[in-house]
Amino acid sequence: MATAMPSHVAAPESPRVWWGVVPAAALAAAAAAASVAFALAAGNPDVLQVFLLEWVGVPYIVAGLVAWWRRPQSGLGPLLVAGGLASAFSGWQLADSAGAYTVGAAFDIVPAALFLHVCLAFPDGRLRSRFEGALVGVAYAAAIGLQVVKMTLGGVDPANLIEVSRQAGVVAAVEDVQLLMLTAACLAGLVVLVRRRHGRPGRRSLGIVITSFEVALVMIALLFTMATFDWPGFHEVQRVTLFMMGLAPIVFLVGLLDARLARSSIGDLILELRREPAAPDLRKALANALRDPSLDLAYWLPDFQTYVDLHGRPVKLPDDPDRTATLIERNGRHVAALLHDRALGDERQLLEAAGAAAGMSLENARLQAELRARVEELSGSRARLIDAGQRERQRLERNLHDGAQQRLIALSLRLSMLEKRLPADAALKQELDTARHEIALSLEELRDVARGIHPAVLSGHGLTVAIESLAARAPLPVRLALDVPGRLPERVEVAAYYVVSEGLANVAKHARAASATVSLDQQRGRLLVEVVDDGVGGADTEGGSGLRGLADRVEALEGHLRVWTPRGGGTRVQAEIPCA
Amino acid sequence: MRVAIAEDSVLLREGIARLLDDAGIDVVAQSADADDLLLKVRSYSPDVAIVDIRLPPTHSDEGMRAALEIRSKHPEVAVLVLSQYVELGLALTLLADSAEGVGYLLKDRISDVDEFVAALRRVADGGSALDPIIVSTLVSRERPGDPLAQLTPREREVLELMAGGSSNQGIADSLVITVRAVEKYVSSIFTKLGLPSTGSESRRVLAVLTFLRS
Repeated sequence: MATAMPSHVAAPESPRVWWGVVPAAALAAAAAAASVAFALAAGNPDVLQVFLLEWVGVPYIVAGLVAWWRRPQSGLGPLLVAGGLASAFSGWQLADSAGAYTVGAAFDIVPAALFLHVCLAFPDGRLRSRFEGALVGVAYAAAIGLQVVKMTLGGVDPANLIEVSRQAGVVAAVEDVQLLMLTAACLAGLVVLVRRRHGRPGRRSLGIVITSFEVALVMIALLFTMATFDWPGFHEVQRVTLFMMGLAPIVFLVGLLDARLARSSIGDLILELRREPAAPDLRKALANALRDPSLDLAYWLPDFQTYVDLHGRPVKLPDDPDRTATLIERNGRHVAALLHDRALGDERQLLEAAGAAAGMSLENARLQAELRARVEELSGSRARLIDAGQRERQRLERNLHDGAQQRLIALSLRLSMLEKRLPADAALKQELDTARHEIALSLEELRDVARGIHPAVLSGHGLTVAIESLAARAPLPVRLALDVPGRLPERVEVAAYYVVSEGLANVAKHARAASATVSLDQQRGRLLVEVVDDGVGGADTEGGSGLRGLADRVEALEGHLRVWTPRGGGTRVQAEIPCA
Repeated sequence: MRVAIAEDSVLLREGIARLLDDAGIDVVAQSADADDLLLKVRSYSPDVAIVDIRLPPTHSDEGMRAALEIRSKHPEVAVLVLSQYVELGLALTLLADSAEGVGYLLKDRISDVDEFVAALRRVADGGSALDPIIVSTLVSRERPGDPLAQLTPREREVLELMAGGSSNQGIADSLVITVRAVEKYVSSIFTKLGLPSTGSESRRVLAVLTFLRS
C-alpha cells in the first residue's frame, strides 16, 4: 500500500535558511523604518494612522520571519513577510518625496490582497485548489493592476510620477470596479474558510487564527463596500479593520508558541503511558499531546499489507487535502500511522517525539489490532467454509435428484409398461414385480440419503414448510409456534433447520418426552429458534449429541446456541441467529 | 380426458405421456417449465395439469407456484403435483382452501400405472389424491390420549384410504368389500373421532386431514 512517507524533516538550524531570512529581515526593517521616518518628516503626522500601519506591518514581518526560520519548507513565512513589506510600503504615501509617495500609492491596497492570500494559504503556505488560486489572482489584479491604471489617469492626489492625464470620471468607475472585485474576493475567501472549518475539528490554536482571519476578511469587505458607496464612518471602520488585520499574525505567533508548548506535553504523554503502558485510549492521549482532536491512529499489519483500526477493521489512509499521515517506526519496523490535520505536518519534530514516546504502547495496540483482524478473518473463513459446504451439499442433492432418482423412476415406469404388453405369465409378472419393488426400495433409500445431504424442501419452500414436515416425521407430538413471515437468508434458514432437526432427533433419542414444542420468532433482526421438551433433562451437552456441530454452525453466523437441561426438568435448546 | 404435463426431465415427460396415451388419455400439452405450462393451460384448457414440483430455472418452488396459480386462476383445471419428496407442509399449502380437484403424489407412483391413472381420473373429476406416505405419517403419529386408538384395524384402513382421497367405491374396491359396508365404517369413524359428517368426498379429506394434523 502506498503511504505518505515523511518527505521532509525540518532542520531549523540549516544555514541555508539564513540566506533568506537575514536579507528579508534587513529589508523589512528598512522599509518599516522608512515609512515611520517619512510620516514623521512630513509634519503634522496622524499618529494613530502611523501606529496602525506599523501595527499591521511589524507583526507580519516578525511572524513571517519566525515562521520562515521554524518551518523553512512552508511558503507561509515569506508570504507573511511580503504582507508586512507591502504594508510598510503603503505607509510611504505619507512621504513628501514624489518617488516615495508614488511607491506608497501603488502599494495602497496591496496589503488587502496579500492578506487574502495569507488567509487562504494558511497554515502551510499552499493554496488548495484552482478556485483559491483564481480568487487570489483576482485580488492581485484589482489591487495592483487597476491601482496602476488609476494612478496613470490621475486618480490620486497629489500628482504622482506615472500620471499621464486627469480623467476623474474614468478613475471613479475604475475604483468602483477595483473595490467591488476585492470585496467579492474577500467574501468568497470567507466562504472557503468557513466551509473548510466545517469538515472536522482541527487543532484548537489554528481555529482561533482562522477566526481572526474570518473577522478581518469581513471587515475588509465592509470597508471596501463603504468606500464604493461613500458611506459615512469610513475612517473609523478603516482603523478597526487595520487593527483586526494586525491581530491575525499575533494570534498566529501565539499558535507557534502553542506548538512549542505541545512539545512539553510530550513529557506528560511519556509519564501517562509509563503509568499505564496499555493505555485504554491511546488515540486520546496522543490527540491531547499533539493538540489535534481530529487525530486518528491506523496500525500496520504486514501480513495483510493493510492498515486497520484498533478493532482490526481495514482503514484507508486519507486522501483529503486537509489530512496527512505520519508513519511511526519502531526498531526499524513500520508500526502505525498517525492520521492528523495537515497543519500538524509542519511539526515534524513534535510528531516524531510523540511517535517515539508512544512507541511501546503503539506496538501493543498494533498487536491487539492484529489479533482482532485475525479473529475477524478466521470467523469470516469459517462462515465461508460452512457456506461452501452447504453449496456442495445442495449440488449433490440436485445431482441425485436429476440423475439417479429420475432414471430409477423412468426405469420402473418402463418395466410397468413392458409388463402390460407381455402375455399373461404369472411367473414373469412375479419377476417384474420383484424388480419394481427393488427399485421402489432403492428410491426410498436414495430419498433418505438426499434429504440427509440437503433438505430440498427447505431451499424450495422455506423454513415454515420444512419444519412442518420435520414435526410430522417426529415420533412424538410436536407443537409448532412458527412466527416467520416470508423467507430468510439461506444460511440462516439452513442453520435454524438443523437446530430444529437435531433438537427433535435428540428429544426422540434421549429425552423420554411426551411432547415437544418448536418455536421460531423473528425480532429486531434476530431469529430465535427454540426446541423445548418435557422429558427427563440432564442431556449430555458435550458428547455425541451433535450439539457441538450445531453450535459451530450457529456461531459461524455470529449467533449463539444455549442449552438448558436440568435433571428432571426437560431440555431447552435455544439458538439466536442474526438475520438482518 | 385432456391432460397437460410439466416436467423438465425429457425421459419422464415422454414416459408419462406414453403411459397416458396407452391408457387412452389425451395429452394436449407438454412443457419443460412453469411459464410454458401456464401459457398452455390458458390456451388448451386441459381437464387436469400434471406438474413436477421442481421446475427450471431455479428448481426450487416454481412448480408449486404454478400449481397454486392454476388453482386460483383456472379453478376448472384440476392439478396433480408430482414430487420426489412429499412434505406435509406442502400438502397443507396445496389443500389450504379445498381438496377439490387436487392431488399430491410421490413421483414414484407413476410406475404403478393403474393406480396412477385412477388417481389422475379422480382428481380430474374434482376429487383428491394425497400420497399414502403423508397419510401414514399422520396416522402413525403419537397423540396424547390418542383418539385413533378407539378405531378397529379395519376402520383404520378405511380412514387412511379416505384421507388419501379415495371415494367410497374406491375404498370398497381396494378392501374388496361392498360400498354399503364402507359407508358404515365411515359413519362409525366420524362418530368415534367426533367429526361432523360431510356430504362431499373431497370435503371429508380436508376434515380428516385437519383432524390428523392437530
